[in-house]
Amino acid sequence: MIRYVGRRLLQSVVVLAGVTITVFVLTALLPGSTARAILGPKATPIAIAAFNHAHGLDRPLPVQYAVYVWQLAHGDLGFSYLLNESVGQLIGERLPKTLVLLTLAYAVALLVAVPIGMMQAVRRNRVEDYGITAVAFLLYSMPAFWLGLILIIVFSADLSILPPEGPQGGVDTYLGQLPALVLPVLSLSLITIALFSRYMRSSVIDNLVQDYVRTARAKGASESWVLYRHVLRNSLIPLITLLGLSLPVIFSGALITEAVFNLPGMGLLFWDAARRRDYPVLLGVTLVVAVATVIGNLLADILYATADPRVRLTGS
Amino acid sequence: MTERKEAWPARLALVAVVALALAACGVGGGGSGGTPTKGGTATFALLPDTKANYIFPMAPIQYFSVANFDQFQVLMVRPLYWFGNNGSVALNDQLSLAAEPQYSDDGKTVTIRLKNYRWSNGQPVTSRDVEFWMNLLRANKTSYAAYLAGGFPDNVVSMRFPDSQTAVFTLDKQYSSYFFTYNQLSEITPIPQAVWDRTSVNGPVGDYDRTPDGATAVYNFLDSQAKDLSTYATNPLWQVVDGPWHLKSFSTDGTLEMVPNPSYSGPVKPQLASFKELPFTTDSAEFNVLRAGQVDYGYIPVQDLAQRSYMSSHGYSYQPWTGWQITYVALNNSSPTVGPIFNQLYVRQAMQHLIDEEGWIKNILKDTGYPTYGPVPLKPTSKFLDAAEQRNPYPFDAAKAVSLLKAHGWDVKPDGVSTCQSPGTGASQCGDGIPAGTKLQFALQYASGSVYLQQEMEAMKSDFSKAGIQLNLTQQPFDSVIANAVPCTPGKPCGWDVANWGGGWIYAPDYFPTGDEIFASGAGNNNGAFSDPKLDQLIAQTTTDSSLKAIQQYEDYGSQDLPVLWTPVAQGQLSEIRTSLHGTGPQDPIFNLTPENWFFTK
Repeated sequence: MIRYVGRRLLQSVVVLAGVTITVFVLTALLPGSTARAILGPKATPIAIAAFNHAHGLDRPLPVQYAVYVWQLAHGDLGFSYLLNESVGQLIGERLPKTLVLLTLAYAVALLVAVPIGMMQAVRRNRVEDYGITAVAFLLYSMPAFWLGLILIIVFSADLSILPPEGPQGGVDTYLGQLPALVLPVLSLSLITIALFSRYMRSSVIDNLVQDYVRTARAKGASESWVLYRHVLRNSLIPLITLLGLSLPVIFSGALITEAVFNLPGMGLLFWDAARRRDYPVLLGVTLVVAVATVIGNLLADILYATADPRVRLTGS
Repeated sequence: MTERKEAWPARLALVAVVALALAACGVGGGGSGGTPTKGGTATFALLPDTKANYIFPMAPIQYFSVANFDQFQVLMVRPLYWFGNNGSVALNDQLSLAAEPQYSDDGKTVTIRLKNYRWSNGQPVTSRDVEFWMNLLRANKTSYAAYLAGGFPDNVVSMRFPDSQTAVFTLDKQYSSYFFTYNQLSEITPIPQAVWDRTSVNGPVGDYDRTPDGATAVYNFLDSQAKDLSTYATNPLWQVVDGPWHLKSFSTDGTLEMVPNPSYSGPVKPQLASFKELPFTTDSAEFNVLRAGQVDYGYIPVQDLAQRSYMSSHGYSYQPWTGWQITYVALNNSSPTVGPIFNQLYVRQAMQHLIDEEGWIKNILKDTGYPTYGPVPLKPTSKFLDAAEQRNPYPFDAAKAVSLLKAHGWDVKPDGVSTCQSPGTGASQCGDGIPAGTKLQFALQYASGSVYLQQEMEAMKSDFSKAGIQLNLTQQPFDSVIANAVPCTPGKPCGWDVANWGGGWIYAPDYFPTGDEIFASGAGNNNGAFSDPKLDQLIAQTTTDSSLKAIQQYEDYGSQDLPVLWTPVAQGQLSEIRTSLHGTGPQDPIFNLTPENWFFTK
């Protein structure tokens, strides 16, 4: 296992180098002057030249990349062209907000989707299965911004029981603003529940017809024992894959939800950086998400082995 | 608004003061009636995706924004001259730190006499503070947002400070007093030399600014302090102010709270206990919070205008905020392919005839906008605007556009693509550099993210097709549009024909609406490299001739010369202000905030 993890971590260094080179080259290929995009319509040629010089944009691209890697090796992700903060500071401010929001949303989704999926599988093709399937499809097909606005109109504007925006300020103040977390978390959870419950239902149905289930029943195990001790564990494997793939999402943020609920996290940070050509921020966020992707995949592989003893991880 | 505390005697006194102020100044507000109260916290919604993030007034251009300057820095550190007076763009003597500048008869010397303002630490605002600003600016001019080569401070040959209240500048030539006051002296903000003239946090205060190296070191120090956003509310440097407010708290997400400067020596003392700015990710997010009644001074997005009556019935007053700006579509006169077409006045006239400004205002901007007919904004009204520019020289008229093209040798194909049939430079021919078969077909890139801009550009495409002018529309982020819209470099690919970033030009901090920065040949922001010697001469005259006739001659000619295609201006903001919050109007066309005028009524 240790050899396997070590080998995967070494591979990840190559992946991360590839990611940074790709983004670096792509940003250089964009038409138009980066300096003018940053400095605005009133930028003079003098200001543009000064900006390019100050940020090394007047140097050859390989030199710019080498400088970037050198800074990276010293723990410096760079300084935003526009936000007057270091990229490290910006990620430090935004990432905790995103982690709180998305971790809560995924936790709620799992807690609800797993039992729902199991119940649907056990009672498949009955009224309750059809009913939940219809609701799941409805939720899953809803655009996130629309669902968010509906929740705000109902719970904030009409009923006045929840705030119309997410918690403001740093995450250290969130405990005092718990009601403000409800709508953004709910908005993300509802869509995720729809997705997860469908996977869970399908996976449980597949497992219920497996030989080991028949064997367990033949040995006299009760239906609930079979379901919770045998089927549940094996049915979670597709969800583990989904969760592994979701880890980068947790780090990259939920752009629409952040925008609707005035909750600036990693999603908006990345979107604004891409839109406004704030390349240091763009590169920094990309790097963080790439690291999360690599770690997410690795964790998923390790969890497979935990959930299914037949899976063995080797260094070869 | 979150809290209101007070005692009866103070309330009675305030009633009298406010009544007098209302009578004397005509200060408007969100609503009328009620008993004025002292105290309370007013909340102000920032525009989407904007926030204060640079506190040192000598800001680099990327930090020179309404959120940083007009709605943050000037609340704490006042500019030497305040522009914006009762809703118009004019020098505001009452709020300026100095009396109106006096120019010598030859126009080459300007004398500035400071009034008796004080810093919050009790020291007077003196000419040394003006000198401090000038020294830092001279040594670091390329770092300052408003610097133009050959402009301020290059055009100040020498400075004298004969006493603590007087500054005398000798200029390199005679300037128009309007131009020099509105566009040059407007860039000065006295800063507290006795506190800020240092090169490190713990280092002593000195006269470092009096040498170029020392001035650079001081600038670098202050810039480095301004990069530490988390200390804005605690750094002793930024607590020394001469404005009516100082920072109480500041969050890097953009939320900030200001409280009154108890030592403020200006004319209007704050009545509120505090003033808060709130950041928003989108205008929809802001409107959700506004609808919930959690903002005192916010705005309604254009797409939600139907909800004005809801806001009105919930205690808000609708007040459009007009900015000092013009909007236009830029043409690439420097393009080797389409430039020769745009260089023909009759083509520009035909295109302008195809822009239905009144129709766009009515149908797209829902009657919230106003037209642009020339280089001087039509609103707010100003002494710079003459009668001629208030008439549209090229009203919407597709038939007129078609006849103009036909009269110059074009085979006009409505709903198709018109082509040049008669090349040459004769009066009835297409014009210089336009070969036979040239098509009236252009790529138009415009800024994404604005519903009304998209609708305007689609309307423009539709109307242009009536004269066989084909526009191929593409959306790009605002920053990409302005990045692309620069004059072509010979030998390099030129990636644009027509561009609209949606913002046109805002006359700030150069408030005198001349064209030296946008329409003069070779100007840094002349996007398409438009060039007309007569226009250049009229622009130059506005900078040297102090009569209003000079600016009016320029605007009349510019209006008809069409260096760009004029388009309607959308309001800067469609404000919704709680009716119990007063003193907010008229809203300043430069977008300066003056919450010291605000007060709540019960």
